[in-house]
Amino acid sequence: MDNILLVTRPKYDDGTEYLSAYAFDLLKKVKGQILTKDFEGEEANKENVEKYLKSKNPKLLFLNGHGNECEICGHKDKAIFSLTNVSLLKNRITYARACFSANILGKEAVKNNSGCFIGYVYPFSFWMGGERSATPLKDKVAGMFLNPSNEIVFSLLKGETAKKANEKSKQMMISNMKEILAMEQKNEPGATGMLQILWDNYEGQVVLGNENAYF
Amino acid sequence: MTEKNGKISDDIKELVIARLEVMPSSYKLSIGSEGTFTTIQLIEHVRAEDHIGNQIARMQLNFIKALTTGKLIETLNKNG
Repeated sequence: MDNILLVTRPKYDDGTEYLSAYAFDLLKKVKGQILTKDFEGEEANKENVEKYLKSKNPKLLFLNGHGNECEICGHKDKAIFSLTNVSLLKNRITYARACFSANILGKEAVKNNSGCFIGYVYPFSFWMGGERSATPLKDKVAGMFLNPSNEIVFSLLKGETAKKANEKSKQMMISNMKEILAMEQKNEPGATGMLQILWDNYEGQVVLGNENAYF
Repeated sequence: MTEKNGKISDDIKELVIARLEVMPSSYKLSIGSEGTFTTIQLIEHVRAEDHIGNQIARMQLNFIKALTTGKLIETLNKNG
């Protein structure tokens, strides 16, 4: 297993555009510090990712996109990982910023091996401040949801265990919840709506398998 | 709070809609592969009691449960 970070970043709708932008921001920040492989847009497909996994054997996977209980998707909702090739995730550390995939796929990924899967048992949801949809990184509303999820990968890259990375991400969510509560006390519109979605992500984010896995 | 057949009860539906109505109209909610929705669209889904509407209701009920059981406050306090 090689210390390489593999990232998938499909981008073909509002949701994936945002996920892609925040994942790319992470890639820019760690540039030169570690080996990375970035599958962006149409390149985020099953064939490319499988080929790379077999040839380079990266230890850490950061998968962005849509998902369901049994799949994590790439470009145009086509599955990159499903129950037919979930064995490719064995012994790796996978963070899937995708809906529901911890329910079945994640559990299968960590069965009888030393790998770890961080993902969601609920949908991964986030509010967007409408004016900023063309510039996701400037969208402070979306940042409340997406920066804590980026923290998982930042922590793993610093050598933290999967358990600690999840805890640090959740600490950041709590900090953001407190900030939102302060907004609510000032009667700023939308605070309660933001809080409930962030709480859903907080409760839905889980670590499966070897919590002591590290990069 | 929901009826036995899994449908959202009318009082919950009104509560969910009331909360959505105070969201800024420019905000949009991304719910994974379901798509991205304005608050007006979300309200329509809740009224229709479809899959997306039920998902929104579940999120709100989950949050209300965390509030009423003290789990939210406990979490916020536990972590300083």
